[in-house]
Amino acid sequence: MTYDLIVIGGGPAGYLGAERAGHAGLKTLLIEKRFIGGVCLNEGCIPSKALLYSAKIYDNARYGEKYGITVQNAVLDHEKVIERKNKVVKTLVGGVKAQLKRNNVTVVEGFGEIAGRNSEGYEVKVGNDTYTAKRLLIATGSMPIIPPIPGVREGIEKGFVLTNREILDLKTVPASLVIVGGGVIGLEMASYFNSAGSKVTIIEMLDHIAGNTDREISNILMKNYQKKGIEFKLNAKVVEVKEGSVIYESNGEKFSAEADKVLMSIGRRPVVEGIGLENIGVEIEKGHIKVDERGKTNVPEVYAAGDVNGYSMLAHTAYREAEVCVNNMIGKKDIMRYNAIPSVIYTNPEVACVGETEETAKQKGIDYEVANISMRYSGRYVAENEGGDGICKVLVDKRYRKLIGAHMIGNYASEIIYGAGIMIETEMRVEDIKEIVFPHPTVCEIIREAIFEL
Amino acid sequence: MATPVIMPRQGQSVESCIITKWNVKKGDKVKIGDVLFTYETDKATFDEEAKVEGTVLDIFFEEGDDVPCLTNVCVIGNEGESTAEFDPRNKDAAASEKSASEEKSVSAPVETKEVPAETPAPAAPVSSGDRIKISPRARNLAERTGVDIRFATPTGPEGRIIERDIIALRESGPVVTPAAMSEYMASGISPMTSGTGLGGRITTADVEAGISATAVAASQFAPAQKPEAEFAEVKLTNIRKVIAKAMHNSLSTMAQLTLNTSFDATEILEFRKKIKETKDRMGLENITLNDIILFAVSRTILNHKDLNAHFLDDKMLVFNNVHLGIAVDTERGLMVPTLFYANLKSLNEISREAKALAESCQKGTISPDLLKGGTFTVTNLGALGIESFTPVINPPQTAILGVNTVVQRVREVNGEYVYYPAMGLSLTFDHRAVDGAPAARFLRDLKTNLENFSALLAK
Ligand SMILES: Cc1cc2nc3c(=O)[nH]c(=O)nc-3n(C[C@H](O)[C@H](O)[C@H](O)COP(=O)(O)OP(=O)(O)OC[C@H]3O[C@@H](n4cnc5c(N)ncnc54)[C@H](O)[C@@H]3O)c2cc1C
Repeated sequence: MTYDLIVIGGGPAGYLGAERAGHAGLKTLLIEKRFIGGVCLNEGCIPSKALLYSAKIYDNARYGEKYGITVQNAVLDHEKVIERKNKVVKTLVGGVKAQLKRNNVTVVEGFGEIAGRNSEGYEVKVGNDTYTAKRLLIATGSMPIIPPIPGVREGIEKGFVLTNREILDLKTVPASLVIVGGGVIGLEMASYFNSAGSKVTIIEMLDHIAGNTDREISNILMKNYQKKGIEFKLNAKVVEVKEGSVIYESNGEKFSAEADKVLMSIGRRPVVEGIGLENIGVEIEKGHIKVDERGKTNVPEVYAAGDVNGYSMLAHTAYREAEVCVNNMIGKKDIMRYNAIPSVIYTNPEVACVGETEETAKQKGIDYEVANISMRYSGRYVAENEGGDGICKVLVDKRYRKLIGAHMIGNYASEIIYGAGIMIETEMRVEDIKEIVFPHPTVCEIIREAIFEL
Repeated sequence: MATPVIMPRQGQSVESCIITKWNVKKGDKVKIGDVLFTYETDKATFDEEAKVEGTVLDIFFEEGDDVPCLTNVCVIGNEGESTAEFDPRNKDAAASEKSASEEKSVSAPVETKEVPAETPAPAAPVSSGDRIKISPRARNLAERTGVDIRFATPTGPEGRIIERDIIALRESGPVVTPAAMSEYMASGISPMTSGTGLGGRITTADVEAGISATAVAASQFAPAQKPEAEFAEVKLTNIRKVIAKAMHNSLSTMAQLTLNTSFDATEILEFRKKIKETKDRMGLENITLNDIILFAVSRTILNHKDLNAHFLDDKMLVFNNVHLGIAVDTERGLMVPTLFYANLKSLNEISREAKALAESCQKGTISPDLLKGGTFTVTNLGALGIESFTPVINPPQTAILGVNTVVQRVREVNGEYVYYPAMGLSLTFDHRAVDGAPAARFLRDLKTNLENFSALLAK
């Protein structure tokens, strides 16, 4: 039997692509070697958020005095937190499986490898079985980068060096935790384990944390976490990992940080090896599959979506990319746009951004204007954030007077940011946004406030 | 004495002309022979010179206005003189007033004679013909919703776009983002049917891409108005508009196809050489290869009359004489003057007349009456090195011959390869009017005649 589409990988790109394809009437097969839901559902977005919410409740209980609440004997029971996390994951994975079924997607468990082409289409091997389809969607995602630092491999084998997979299943809270890499994943894990009681040290090679986040905002975030007791070692390079400590170099000097556990979170790389791409000649560029704006690879009817194409490494990007691929498969014109993809750090306070930062706008030579205001312009923010020092920044392209970027730090930012994304994507001008009614009192009003500063 | 200057009538078929440029303004002093304004028919451009001396007292039309022939355009006289009596707009007003009062006075008598309701003559169009008619309400909505009104299908009275047309367009047509709108409309780029934004919205990036694409194209046409401008907005000349319409009409309404062949040009090349040597002695024109082809066509096509014809949907006009359209490349664009009765003219006459026609096209002085009436057209891209192409028929004609360059070809003669000069012919014909075989037969006869040109001359 020939399928219309074989999807390799059951993460956000794969499962959503399969659902949409099935819904559109394509005979679809999905191959997943581990767990449906991929990194995002099983060992990424969702479990981390479950943990962070538990930490937030705990923090609210512990630091409630500012709001007139005193709680005695608040306890974070890590085992129960993990248990609940597993329940959340199970519920959601079950939901995805049900959706796949509802959309008539056949799911095969096992490792898929592209074997070649025949007159019917492309052949994919899973164990001893071979499946054929007219089209392929490659959605094999990404995996953590493990640097060749002495001691890291042995540490992983022995279980004291962890990746996102293991850390989300730790049975006990380590007394000390060194996180190598101050990006989104590292910061979120730091946030949880800091609340849960670990002594957390973040070692970052750059002079700032949180990657490409607006520099002012990442500094505010760092200060917040320094206050909570996290130590940041910037401009620092890990040179060796030993049982119990991490050796790093900074300004030519060597230091040691105490570490019961070490989390490696220096980045992720697309999974492009061992899946048979070479058997049909799919082009790989700088370690990721090269696709055009429609998600097409260089090989006819072979598409790729999600982390494997190396563009943005976010689950919601993966969703949309998969949809673009499927739309093009069924003859519907659609292209992927990356100019309004929100990104969120689910720390406490949250950070959320969309569009150009001042840094990227400058690089692109955009003539822009910024409004930068305190979150305290929002009544609800003041009511709910004693001593909060969040800010909201909006960037406006001067030529068109349109919004091109929005950046904020402060809780609920994650839920607000999509609104700014819509404004950017539809190219609303300052004067258009001024006409929008925001619910009051909410934190999202901050966008309106910022816009009126321009 | 104040003297009105009228819009001249250039040929019997011309109803109105467009003023393309004013060289004087109100209050300027002019001498006889000064160019007052430039105007265009749909085929050519002319300058109107002052025939009297004096001051420009009044100007009634602006650049871009389409002015009916014989209408007063401006007035020259002595300062202080009144011009009101010459103002065509006043005349219309006066005429309609008069007719209104006449109506009154005739309706008074008891006899109920049917009075023809005399509609006032339409005011001379003061706005350019291409302006979009749209109700303010519809325009407002269009601006707010970001649709491109140029795509709206007007359903209001007198072809006016009304609100419901904009609502319909919002569903079906391209939507422009608020930020992109003003530059999209102002930049003069061609309308886009969709963009790369959300739901196909046209974004600022699309407009920027459109502008740079237009700039590349525009650089071929006109010098940029501002040296610092990234692009130049090039308004289509009337001639360009006519060409655009005619070409599109031609290709969209006919069943055109092209046959390509070539002939051995040895004989006509030799013939031309001979003429070149003897022309002064014999008092002959400088006869070109194209003239020779025009002559051969005029002597061949009457045996293939379906190609010397007009196709008018339910009937065909099949002509007994050959009026050859000759495509001429001019600065202003393609023009096709007609060489009438080519079949009755000698090669020398054809040569002389073809040259004269081309020259007056170049100068823009060609009479519009000479720009129509063709029964078959010849177009020549040979000088530009083209080896074969697809000429586009000038409707309602049924065919057009494209003349190509001469290339060296090889053929086998007695087991040996010999070179000969081959000239290409590309015949586009309307398959609605003529079938492939008869069209091919015409080409074959033409080829024979050209290869045996001295025999044809002897006939
Ligand atoms: C700790 C952590 C937190 C994160 N938090 C967020 C967040 O809050 N928000 C966000 O947007 N993103 C987050 N991400 C990123 C997000 O998880 C990824 O962007 C997303 O999972 C990418 O989806 P994907 O479908 O491309 O790939 P993946 O989710 O990696 O899925 C790929 C799937 O393919 C399977 N596979 C691979 N090769 C084969 C094969 N040959 N045969 C069969 N199956 C195969 C894998 O087993 C995997 O299940 C987080 C990531 C991590 C690690």
